[in-house]
Formats: sequence, structure tokens, C-alpha cells
Amino acid sequence: MAMNELLDLLTPYVTRICGPIALADGPDAAQEALIAIFKGLRGLREPAALYGWARAIAVREAVRVARRSRHTVEFEDDLPSSADLEQAADIRDLLARLSPEHRAVLMLRDVEGLDERAAAELLEVPVGTVKSRLFRARENFRKAWSS
Amino acid sequence: MSGSWPVAELDPVRRLHVLASAISGAAVASRVIPAPFEQVWEVAGDLERGLGTFEPDMRSVRVEQTASGLVAHARSRYGFRARFEVDLRPGWVWMQSRFLLIGLAAVPVAGGTLFAATGGVRVPGRAGLVPLLVRRANERALERLAARFS
Repeated sequence: MAMNELLDLLTPYVTRICGPIALADGPDAAQEALIAIFKGLRGLREPAALYGWARAIAVREAVRVARRSRHTVEFEDDLPSSADLEQAADIRDLLARLSPEHRAVLMLRDVEGLDERAAAELLEVPVGTVKSRLFRARENFRKAWSS
Repeated sequence: MSGSWPVAELDPVRRLHVLASAISGAAVASRVIPAPFEQVWEVAGDLERGLGTFEPDMRSVRVEQTASGLVAHARSRYGFRARFEVDLRPGWVWMQSRFLLIGLAAVPVAGGTLFAATGGVRVPGRAGLVPLLVRRANERALERLAARFS
């Protein structure tokens, strides 16, 4: 029953990470992330690191699944117009306008409370990349919040 | 702006796939049963009267609520007895005894109920099942359950 209980413990955390990144593919992402986590459990040397380790796997799987399905309408270099943003009904609408990687950066910052360095480390990209992704993503959000 | 951050959902069938992936030798059988979820679960979730009608070798099951949770005492047609710890929720049964594992999950889908089953004989002391006819046994259980609704 221990695995059943561990799954109860990890599921809310993993689904909260996968939702904003994978959106409609969130259930697939959560399932694949949890499978990767459970398969890798034996290799986890430090139990205290469980959540950080699970988070890294969940982000990676969510980005991978979201990119695979390519439902995303991306306009990274062409930010949404004010009119677009005003019509956005909720966060999901806005997230859907970003690439999975941008969504991952936003989620790590605004849901998980990571700073740029920690987010860069987790995503295995330079800090400058996280900064530019955040700048673009947050610009969209700021415009929407103030509209 | 309104709304909150989206959260992904892990339904019971997906949950079953996750747990089965962590158990060596486990296989998940699944099929759509052409009946509403409520009807299917009325059978599958009734451990005392329903489970034995489709799970192999469950002649009688008696469920007991204990201080540490739900426990099922099962007897096979060959007389073997097993004491299972049970996690029972809507669309979800996970039962483990010292030697046996049974996992069932169901979700409503278009056309009926997606039902999934895993389980088999446990390898003592390990998160593993004896990899012998596991898939076929679970498929047969689903066939028997589906037959109740055809």
C-alpha cells in the first residue's frame, strides 16, 4: 500500500505542475510524469529531495508531451495584441498563447516560487534564457492583469 | 483577469497505469464496457457481491472496517484464504494481500465505461508480480465483467 499512498501524496503536486504547462494534454503529462517518477524512485538517494526531483521530472515530461501534441498556437516573437488579451477569459487562455517552455518558466516562477537561477537549473537552460522567456511571458500577463 | 492556474487531472484508470508501471511483471488490461459508469461500478465496487462474479478464484469476500482501514477476507474455490488491505473509492479498488494484488479502475467515457484491471501473484517482499499469464488473467476478468452488461 506504500506506493498507493505515495501516489496520493505526489499526484496533487504533479498535476499542479503539469496543468499549466501541458494544458489540454495535462492528464497525459501527469500520467507520464508519475510513471517516470515511480520508475526512477529506486535511484533517488535522498528522500528529502523527493519533491524537487519530482518537480524536475514533471516539468520535463509536461514540456515534452505538450510539444509532441503541438496544440499550442505560438507567437513568441509576435506578442498578443491588447485586444487579444482583453478577450482572454482566464489564465488558461493566456497560457495557451505561449510555448510550453514559456509556460514552464512562468509556472516555476509564479506557482512554485523559484527564482530565475533555480528555474534555469531545473530547465537546463542559461539564466539569460529564463529571463527573456519570463520577460515575454510576464509582459503578456501584465497587460492582461491591467486591462 | 479571472480564473486560476489550470490543474491536470489524473483519473483512476491513469492512476492504475502509474501504479502498475512501478510493479515489475504487472500488466494492465483495459476495455470499454458498454454500460454507464454507475451500473458498472455498482458491480465492480461491491467487493462482497460483485467482485467474485468476474475476478478469478474469488469464491467469497467479506469486508471489514478496521481501525487501520478497510480489510477484505477472501476465500478461493480451492479453500485458500487471503486478507487484503483495501483502498476503495469511486472508480478505484486497490487490494493487496501478502501474496495477491488486485487493482481495478473505471472512468465514464463516450460509449460506456473504460475499465482497467491489473494484478496477480506477488513476489514476496518486492514490488513485483510473478509474470505468468498476468495479462490474460486480467483480460479474462474484464471479459466476464463485460458479459454481465451485454
